[in-house]
Formats: sequence, structure tokens, C-alpha cells
Amino acid sequence: MLEVKHLSKDYGGITVIRDLSFTVNAGERRVILGPNGAGKTTLFHLLTGVEKASSGSITFAGNNISKMNAVERARVGIARSYQKNNLFEHLTIRENLMLAAAAATGKSRWFFRDVTNQADMKTRIEETAEQVALTDQLDMMVSAVSYGNRRQLEVGLALATRPALLLMDEPTSGVGPAMIDTFHQLLETLPRDITILIIEHDMDLAFSIADHITVLNFGEKVFEGTPEDTRGNPSVRQIYLGNGDETYGASNDHA
Amino acid sequence: MFYQSRLRSITLILALGFLAAYASFGSYFAREIVIEITILAILAISLDFCAGFGGMVSLCHGAIMGISAYAFTIMSVKLGLPSVPSAMIGLMAAVVFSGLVGWVTARTSGIFFIMATLAFGQMAYTFFFKSRWLGGDDGMGGIDRFDLSWLGVDMNDALVFALFGIAVLLLVYVIAAILLRSGFGRILSGIHSNENRMQAVGINTANHKAIAMAASGLMAGIAGILAAQHTLYISPELLIWTVSGEVLLVVILGGIGTLIGPVVGAIMLVMLKHELSNYTDYWHMIVGMVLIFAVLAGGRGIFGQIEYWLITRHPPKAPHLPPAKEKDLA
Ligand SMILES: Nc1ncnc2c1ncn2[C@@H]1O[C@H](COP(=O)(O)OP(=O)(O)OP(=O)(O)O)[C@@H](O)[C@H]1O
Ligand SMILES: [Mg+2]
Repeated sequence: MLEVKHLSKDYGGITVIRDLSFTVNAGERRVILGPNGAGKTTLFHLLTGVEKASSGSITFAGNNISKMNAVERARVGIARSYQKNNLFEHLTIRENLMLAAAAATGKSRWFFRDVTNQADMKTRIEETAEQVALTDQLDMMVSAVSYGNRRQLEVGLALATRPALLLMDEPTSGVGPAMIDTFHQLLETLPRDITILIIEHDMDLAFSIADHITVLNFGEKVFEGTPEDTRGNPSVRQIYLGNGDETYGASNDHA
Repeated sequence: MFYQSRLRSITLILALGFLAAYASFGSYFAREIVIEITILAILAISLDFCAGFGGMVSLCHGAIMGISAYAFTIMSVKLGLPSVPSAMIGLMAAVVFSGLVGWVTARTSGIFFIMATLAFGQMAYTFFFKSRWLGGDDGMGGIDRFDLSWLGVDMNDALVFALFGIAVLLLVYVIAAILLRSGFGRILSGIHSNENRMQAVGINTANHKAIAMAASGLMAGIAGILAAQHTLYISPELLIWTVSGEVLLVVILGGIGTLIGPVVGAIMLVMLKHELSNYTDYWHMIVGMVLIFAVLAGGRGIFGQIEYWLITRHPPKAPHLPPAKEKDLA
């Protein structure tokens, strides 16, 4: 599904991603772990094409997408949610989801027909709202809903495009325990035809949803394996889990 | 995001009704004022389309209008083409120029976009100003109005022409409203709100903005044809940047991002100008003070402020009414 080979990225001499290779199978839930500054978000920038890799290749669904720009990659089914909210402010949640859905279904070329009352559009908006548990807030302005709701919408905007590959950058960053449960449920109910890469600092959540975990440190892959293997791996424990404190980073917010 | 609310429909009907009545029952001078208003209002709708809904605050809308007027006049006067095909070519010239401006400037924003459009406008102005063949600063005359005698009306009659202008204004409003309600228009609002995220969901925002500028250029071009038909004479003055500045003033005065606000603004500005100039030479100052008041009072403009009051006093039942928001200019 996704094959990353020898990917590197440097910013003016500083190497942020170094010779990174990994493969993600279709339908897999892959968690990316790593301390602050490990290069996790940068990896997502490279996968979505917002940043160009310095070297290496990315193959998605059998096609080499390394040369594609961000818009083209979005169109082949790669969607992403952001570590910091990146929403359509001053609009309602319904309008937000509508924009993402309209964009993904080529409605930007509809010059005369309205899309807001269109049946398949409505269904998609409502389905997405249900997936991210925002049905009751659909007609509220983004500025009027809670921070947690905005985090849900952040994922909703990505889901509304019906991606094949979903990249989630710390969806739970800055939210409380109740909201983490909401995200846990959300992740468990997402259909398996979506392949998910998720950067997650909440260990309980990460270990319970992951099929495999990839651990980054200073831009390099230091470990890859099942959650059990990861838990038991001494070098991972040393880098990331520190002195056995498994909730490291759970309350870490970058919002 | 654009919604044709009931308040907006009522305002549109009232505005057009007022103009029609003012022309019908007024003097020749009143009819001239109405035509002046319709041309300015069309241009203001065109600017609100790209500035209020796409975040592209252009200072070359006067130039777009002028290019259409020149292309129309070249075709009909210099080359002797019939007026309808000439008008089509005039509109095409406006669309091409405006689309080109949009295409070149699409990757800039804010003040850089404004400056780039200003530069394009000045280039066009200088071109016509310097062109001997096109009459230089004297411009060109000899334009004929559309022949609507098959409808039994004489376009040289000031009342007929004023009513024609009102009909064209309505047409342009409808075109703008349909485009803004369409998938294209929704995405344009999305780009205005968050261009980066719109790209992330797969929109080539630069292209989209260029097309929006071209569509806006079509509307400005219509104003240009009407202006040429009105005075039967054109000169580079149409393209001076202060024309674009005045249009922007009208948009802000009426309410940017409301589409009907610019029509209200055009009526206000032209009426104020003519009424006040009867009494004082300092009417510019009074208009300036009205503008300052309109901007200080929330920056929503006259229509925008009234709409805001009504919405906040009676919260919308439907979520469709536009949000009360600070509309950023750039
Ligand atoms: N545009 C840039 N120019 C220079 N350095 C950058 C740039 N973007 C990121 N970096 C650096 O790259 C490193 C990795 O950043 P990145 O945001 O990918 O980390 P992260 O793993 O997502 O961290 P966090 O857990 O804090 O989100 C950091 O040291 C950061 O300072
Ligand atoms: Mg990060």
C-alpha cells in the first residue's frame, strides 16, 4: 500500500529524516512514535508532498508518487489531519465538511449547480459527522465549538475526502481523557479499507490500536514491530518510555 | 460563504425598484445618475466577487472595465463590426486580461496582490494613454448604442437606456449569485477562509483563483460595455487607478462579502456625490467621513451592519445566514 524507501530530508544542512524505509500494508493501523523533534510531522509533510524529500522514493498503491505535488497526492487518496488545527474558521462544521467533500468529488468544476443541497453530498457530510461524533454540532460555527470538537473536525476534514490513506498527526494533542476515549472509539470504528498512519503520544491509545509501531528518533527508524515487541524493546524503552513512565507525552500538547 | 437570504432579496428588489422609479419619474439628469449608479454597481459586484469571496482585493478593476470598453470600441468604430459581436469581443478581452492578472498573481496574497494588480492596471492605462491609433489621452468617440428597435424601444432615449442599465445590473447580480452558490463559488470561499487546507483536500487553488478573476473580469467587462454605450465616447480615464479605488470604496461602504452591499454602496455614493455637490465643494470630505464611520462601525459597511444587527437580534433559524464576522480585507 505504502512503501517508503531511503527517504531523507534536510533543512539547510540539518538532517531531519535520515534514510528512512518502511512498508505499510493495506488496511493497517501503523503508529509512529518518537520524542519531540524526532521528525514525525516532517515525515507527514514528505508523504503528502507539502515538502519535497531530499532523496528517496515513496510508492503509494503501486505508483511512485515521489514527483507528485501536494494537490495531486490529495487527489490520489492521501488525506491528512494536522497537529495544530487547520480548519475553515468563520464557517459552520457542516460547511467545513462540505468543502472537503466537494473538493474531493470534483465539485470545484461545478460552475452553476449548488452542492450544498445535493443528496450524495448531504449523505457524505452526515456520515462523516457521525464518524467523528459531531452530528449534534453540525450547524455550529467552528469558532463556537470546544477545542475537542475542533480536533474531531480536524480528522473529519480528512475523512470527508474518503481517503485510501489517512495520516493523523497527534489527533489527541491537547485534549482531555474523555476526548481521548472518543478518539479511541473513532479509530476502532473506521473501516479497514482506510489505511492509517497515526502519530500518537498517548501510549494506551497507541498500543491498543496499532498493528505495528514504527519508532523514530533523530529522524531515523530505531525500531519497528508489534505493540508487544515495542513494549519489550530495551532501546525503545530507553529513548521513548524513559524510566518506565508509559504515559510520557500523554498530556503533551502542542496546540 | 454566500447565501441569498430573504433580506438580501428584499434589498435587491428595493434597490432596483428605487432606481427604476427614480429614472422613470425623474428628470434627464436623474436618468444619467441612475446609469452612473448601475455601471458603478456592476463594477462593485464584480470586485466583491473576487475580493469579498475570494480574498483578492484588486486595484485593477477600472482597467478591466476600460479594456473591455476599448476592445468594444476598436471593433465597432475602428473595424466597423456590428455592436453585438463587438461587445462579445470586448467581454472576451476583459476575461483574458483579468484571467491573466489572476494567473500571474494567484501565488501572492494580501498587500502583494493589491500592488501587483495596481501595476497591471497602470500598464494597461499607460498603453492606451500612449497609443496614437486609439486617440491617446483624447480617447475615441463615434460609438453607437445597441439597436433595440426590434423591441420597439429607442436606446438613445435616456429613460430606456437607464432601464436597460438596471436590467443589466440585475443580470450581473444573478450571474454572480449563481457562481457563488455553485461548487466553484463554495470552494472559492473555502480558499478565502483557508487556502492551505483547501490544497490539502486536493484543490489547485492558484488555478481556481485565476478562474475566479476571469469570471470577475467578465462582470467588469459588462460594466465597460455599458460605460462606452453610455457616454458614446471612451478615454484612458476609465482605466485610472482611482476608478478602481472608488469601486473598492463602494464595496467597503456597502458591505464587502455581501454581494448586495456593493449595490447599496453605489447608490449611496453617487447620490451623496450629486446631492452634496449642489451645496458644497467639499462633498469629498463628507463622503470620506461616511466611509470612515462605515469602517469604524465594525467594518461591515452599511448593508453589512444592518444585516448583522438583524441577525444578532433574531438569531437565524436556518444556519444559512452568513456569520457575523470580521471580514478581513487582504
Ligand atoms: N522548515 C523547517 N526548517 C528547519 N528545521 C525544521 C523545519 N521543520 C522542522 N524542522 C526541524 O525538524 C525537526 C523535526 O521536526 P518535526 O516537526 O518533524 O518533529 P515531530 O517529531 O513532529 O515533533 P513533535 O512531537 O514536537 O511534533 C525539529 O528539530 C524541527 O526543529
Ligand atoms: Mg509533530
